[in-house]
Amino acid sequence: MPKRILVTGSGIISGLGINLQETYTSLSGLHSGVETIRHLDTSLKGEVPASEVRLSNEELADFAGLGGKTGYSRNSLLGIIASREAFIHARLQEHPGLRKGLISGTTVGGMDECEKYYDDFLRNDSKNSYIGIYDCADSTEKIADYLGLKGFMTTISTACSSAANAIMFAARMMKAGKLDCAIAGGTEALTRFHINGFNALKILDKQPCRPFDAQRNGINLGEGAAYLVLETEEANAITGNTVICELTGYGNACEAFHQTASSPEGTGAYLAMKKALDMSGEAPENIDYINAHGTGTDNNDLSEGHAIEKLFTEKIPFVSSTKPFTGHMTSAAGSAEAVISILSLSYNIIWPNLNFSAPMPELSFQPVTELLRNREVNLVMTNSFGFGGNNTSLIFKKYGIH
Amino acid sequence: MDELIDKLKKEVIAQLNLEDISVDDINPDAPLFGEGLGLDSIDALELIVLLEKNYGIKIEDPKDGKKIFYSIRTMAEYITAHQTKG
Repeated sequence: MPKRILVTGSGIISGLGINLQETYTSLSGLHSGVETIRHLDTSLKGEVPASEVRLSNEELADFAGLGGKTGYSRNSLLGIIASREAFIHARLQEHPGLRKGLISGTTVGGMDECEKYYDDFLRNDSKNSYIGIYDCADSTEKIADYLGLKGFMTTISTACSSAANAIMFAARMMKAGKLDCAIAGGTEALTRFHINGFNALKILDKQPCRPFDAQRNGINLGEGAAYLVLETEEANAITGNTVICELTGYGNACEAFHQTASSPEGTGAYLAMKKALDMSGEAPENIDYINAHGTGTDNNDLSEGHAIEKLFTEKIPFVSSTKPFTGHMTSAAGSAEAVISILSLSYNIIWPNLNFSAPMPELSFQPVTELLRNREVNLVMTNSFGFGGNNTSLIFKKYGIH
Repeated sequence: MDELIDKLKKEVIAQLNLEDISVDDINPDAPLFGEGLGLDSIDALELIVLLEKNYGIKIEDPKDGKKIFYSIRTMAEYITAHQTKG
């Protein structure tokens, strides 16, 4: 029997709020985090909206208890705050004997600080201490230091599937007997570099994004971080933590169709979802809710929509993209949407796909447009598809049901 | 108010599975988070769900949570002011 992977903690910070409780309140109150850009110093301010964490860097540092310390990028601070929430909930500090891993997805790393000081790097030596925090792994190391983790750690950068791949990788390490538990997820602060990159690709919507809508016109970016605590059953017997749910399936398929686009028929998305479903041993009709990647681009929603049709054929589950709430959190999207999907499981709620009005003529289904309460939600699938065709799908199941 | 405070203590104990805590152990004015009962943010989420389920209250501004859930008394005061079902 392969080891079971149990979820026993979660933490999140995003445009929806600075912890789980605020996130739930924003979601259930249908409050989107997508607004005019306030914090990021960009020429696109006022032109494209985004979902920013409401705290400034100084406020984030204070919230993390790191006020006055230098060398912490916004990206690291977001990761520290979300991982701390999950870590404290699972009381992992109390169990020194367990082999705890930290697997963090990010692409920004310390880029947010380095782009601020780029001119200084060229002209003087006043900000050179920031050069060392540029790479992605710096944010992971900062999180590990903060939480006092000294064991295995690694950083995963597969663009928009990074955090989902971090969760999948953690589960594989645990099944292979290399770790007893893990903190896995991702962090991503908004930067000029990636907002300009998406702008250059002409896939940023100036309006609130409209996934799966015939009139969809691109992405709203978002920032934040989210982490899960995963434990094996053996570790759980030691921690005694309440099990929130179980990670029963995951799949990754890299279709390598194009640098940034998915294949129109959604081959990679289909393969990732199929692998996850097969691993979980469930029939497609047992999936109650799909938290779609649903970015709001022409390409993704068509491709993902066709992949969903191909896998689920007659009976398409409830589908929604929660990116109109959070914005597209890129490397943190996979874990943020895992947390949001787990909230759906825990409270039997289907989150709506905001801003939808016109069905796509190419698809046989429409997303859920209203918040649905008191639905039996036992099995959720969450999709995260990255540039380069790096597609990942995760499946979470209510614990203790058959 | 005292009646509501007692009812609320029982509901909080049940919602959060506080097995070793009795109604008398909870000081209605003590902070629920950090010190006092030492609840964490997943517990805060459970309290939001309790307000929705038992009192039909939906909190509009997520940032209000901190004030509302400061203590049992602040929760009771908020419920008294916003209750939509009994």
